Amino acid sequence: MQTAPKSYSAYHKEIDEALNDEQLRKTLGTYAVNYRTNRANVMRDVDEKGLIRAIADFKDEAAAHMEELYKQFKEEAEKRGAHVYLAKTADEANQIISDIAKREGVKRIIKSKSMTSEETLLNHKLEADGYIVDETDLGEWIIQLRHETPSHMVMPAIHLSRYQIAEDFSKVTHVKQDPDIDRLVKVARVQLRRKFIAGDMGISGCNFAIAECGAITTVTNEGNARMVETMPRVHTVLVGLDKLTPTIDEAMIALQILPRNATAQRITSYVSWVAGPTKWLGSPEGQKSMHIVFLDNGRTKYVKDPIFKEVFRCVRCGACTNVCPVFTLIGGHKMGYIYMGAIGLILTYLYHGEDKAKYLCQNCVGCEACHNVCAGGIDLPKLIREVRNRLVDDGNGDMMGSLMKMVMTNRKLFHSLLRFASKAQKPVTGGTQFQRHLPMMFMKRHDFRALPAIAEKAFRDLWPNIAPKVSNPVARVAIFAGCAQDFIYPEQLIAAVKVLAARNVAVDFPMAQTCCGLPLSMMGQRKGVQDVARQNVRAFVDGNYDYIITLCASCGSTLKFQYPTYLANDSDITSGVLDRFVNKITDFSTFCRDVLDLKPEDFTNTHEKVTFHGSCHQCRALKAAGKSRELIGSAADYVACNEEEVCCGFGGTYSVKFPEISAEIISRKVKNIVDTKADRVVMDCPGCVLQIRGHAEKANAGIKVTHLSELMAENILPK
Amino acid sequence: MSNTNPELVEKFTAMAKAVAATVAEVPSREEAFKYIVDLTLSKDPCELLADEPDTEKGPLGPNRVPTRVQRVIAAPSLDDEAFAELDKLCQEKGILCLRDNVRKYAAGIDLGLNEAVAGVAASGTCLCPTTDENVRLAGMISEISVIMLKKSTIYPDLPSVAHIMREAIGQGASFTTLITGPSRTADIECVSAVGVHGPLAMHILLLED
Repeated sequence: MQTAPKSYSAYHKEIDEALNDEQLRKTLGTYAVNYRTNRANVMRDVDEKGLIRAIADFKDEAAAHMEELYKQFKEEAEKRGAHVYLAKTADEANQIISDIAKREGVKRIIKSKSMTSEETLLNHKLEADGYIVDETDLGEWIIQLRHETPSHMVMPAIHLSRYQIAEDFSKVTHVKQDPDIDRLVKVARVQLRRKFIAGDMGISGCNFAIAECGAITTVTNEGNARMVETMPRVHTVLVGLDKLTPTIDEAMIALQILPRNATAQRITSYVSWVAGPTKWLGSPEGQKSMHIVFLDNGRTKYVKDPIFKEVFRCVRCGACTNVCPVFTLIGGHKMGYIYMGAIGLILTYLYHGEDKAKYLCQNCVGCEACHNVCAGGIDLPKLIREVRNRLVDDGNGDMMGSLMKMVMTNRKLFHSLLRFASKAQKPVTGGTQFQRHLPMMFMKRHDFRALPAIAEKAFRDLWPNIAPKVSNPVARVAIFAGCAQDFIYPEQLIAAVKVLAARNVAVDFPMAQTCCGLPLSMMGQRKGVQDVARQNVRAFVDGNYDYIITLCASCGSTLKFQYPTYLANDSDITSGVLDRFVNKITDFSTFCRDVLDLKPEDFTNTHEKVTFHGSCHQCRALKAAGKSRELIGSAADYVACNEEEVCCGFGGTYSVKFPEISAEIISRKVKNIVDTKADRVVMDCPGCVLQIRGHAEKANAGIKVTHLSELMAENILPK
Repeated sequence: MSNTNPELVEKFTAMAKAVAATVAEVPSREEAFKYIVDLTLSKDPCELLADEPDTEKGPLGPNRVPTRVQRVIAAPSLDDEAFAELDKLCQEKGILCLRDNVRKYAAGIDLGLNEAVAGVAASGTCLCPTTDENVRLAGMISEISVIMLKKSTIYPDLPSVAHIMREAIGQGASFTTLITGPSRTADIECVSAVGVHGPLAMHILLLED
């Protein structure tokens, strides 16, 4: 049985195991690259965004009417001769199914893949009650032989090699099997056909339970689900209430995205639509019986939750795992309890409780890659942060979060501490930009990057002396600095001010601004985020600004996309004030490209070879990576980089909590950058500069790492 | 019923081929049946994936199981006239042509013939009513699945066949299947392989009206 980590130290141990599993790393690493390419290829012939929107809409609607749809489904299915049950809990569902087996005189059960049956741990119950249960999906069969659990929703045995599987198959067949994939597939063909024939009851899952006609659909490739549904006399279906779908039309919409997202197929080999028990020709009486067990297990509760209800848009395609940089390194066994990946972190909390979710839910870097591909457009990172919020609400947060909240919500205290650190660090920086001689508290795990020094003088302290005078400005802007640029990398802002002033933009810097709140949001400190969010909105709201410019993609996306949630229905900040603030937030690249219309003629092109790191929030939240690339191309020679838009592994507090994973992600990133043979890599986020420059320094990568603003400031021509 | 749209036929053909299906245009039903009989005779003998005590067995197949000496085609969906026509051709060549009792041959048959009521061009998919267990098994336990599809019944995409699905599901108990290419898996090291629990190969015969 799968377990969930009970402490950080236990979890780190498990993660280390996965990181040292070369086979797992190789398979997942190759898969991640191939998946991205193949998915993009098959998405080209559909309106991806439109279909995802349509899925989100119908799933929202279906979730809101779950109980009515259940009634309608039940009526239609019963009309066609099926029996329909509703189980409140996982145990109840298992009991119902065991009772059906007993009533029907079943001995042998054959199963096709069902994550819902993993959720209820159905096999344990049926085996304990004396039934012979055989999984028939190739991947599920393999892991059943090994007494393991799925490590991926669609490819349950993705963590295993052909050599391991050949060994398992040799044992079960008592014949030496070659590690040849085609041959191994045929072993399953030969071994399982007799089980299909001998099975008394088939258990399948269900992708869409269609209310208008009481049909269940299964979306499969191997053909085992059709065998499970056809060969035995009894067909039992276990299905979550969230799979209820109003009509065939919605299923047809979702079927255009589900296989594309799951396995980069236009459609799977088979989609079965079973509406009631058909004639069964295995005996002269000739009638099949069909039982459909719906599982609640928290679904009707969370469907009323204003934030978590979004989770019911999930169609279990597994795309969120396929693109997750953390999953790619450690696999599903270490990134979930039953369900894995981004959706798994959330469902573990909803279906299996706080205890199981407490440490697992911390293992998200917040890179937005999952949000960007989700078939239902679920804002997965937001829901994962919400799980952390609820843990803190219930007194299950950690000390680091509470301390951060205490310090960061008190701007004056926070900034004095940073100024103090600037002085106190002298013995460790040796006057360089890095903290070279770190005290013992920084353990070996954190040694993968050189940490930056706090700047001698913060940007806010330099501002009075560097604020440019602009007459008849083309636009009035205020800079939102964020902590990293204010206190560590003021030069990135100084460079931006130079570019803006050169194009006659009036710049202001409101002193009352503070941390954007993202670090607190990542720690589940909802109240802390709300506190700093109010401070920031107030700091800017009265100024006469056309735009509020951010040079940190993470801050920018927090202000623009998280504030509306955190400050919704706030008693202090009215929605009008909030809207005005949010609408003015503009990232530096978008402002320079779209508002100032900077083009090649605005720069001296030194033909320096410059590559790009697309920061997570720049690519997937602000959606401005293309603009950054255009600006690079105007000021230098842009060189494309492999996996340019993949996360660098920083994630703020993430890299402190999971340094071993962060280290692996950044080393792959820097290797890709070095492979471009560029002279410099630029990005629109100081967090990424910290991570990439820090690792490049440790690895002696010999590449210059700067903010995009610095490249632009070096090359901008005076008007 | 709309007339044949050559663009849809072309798209359907390309998409079906992309998932390892063989697509052939046949001018008549007679030609289709000839195609099926030839295919059955030219393929390797069918492997027996389960015990069939009274069946005449040939040498072991590639998966080290006995093969079936008698060639078998299942074509349970055909109407009386069409079945008689195919059966006659089969008898001439010594092939057993099944119309019912397909379950008895669950260890494996050479070829199963199905008829689609609609095609989906965007993915090379066939929509097959398979409520009759014999019809369903024909496309599941055969080594080669052959589906006959009228060119004029090819639609652009899945939403455009929703009404046909609705009709096929109907008001009573039913089983309908969307079929696209042979059975496949990528469960071992994400490497795609065909022929897991269903057919090893698939042929689609495109017919004029």
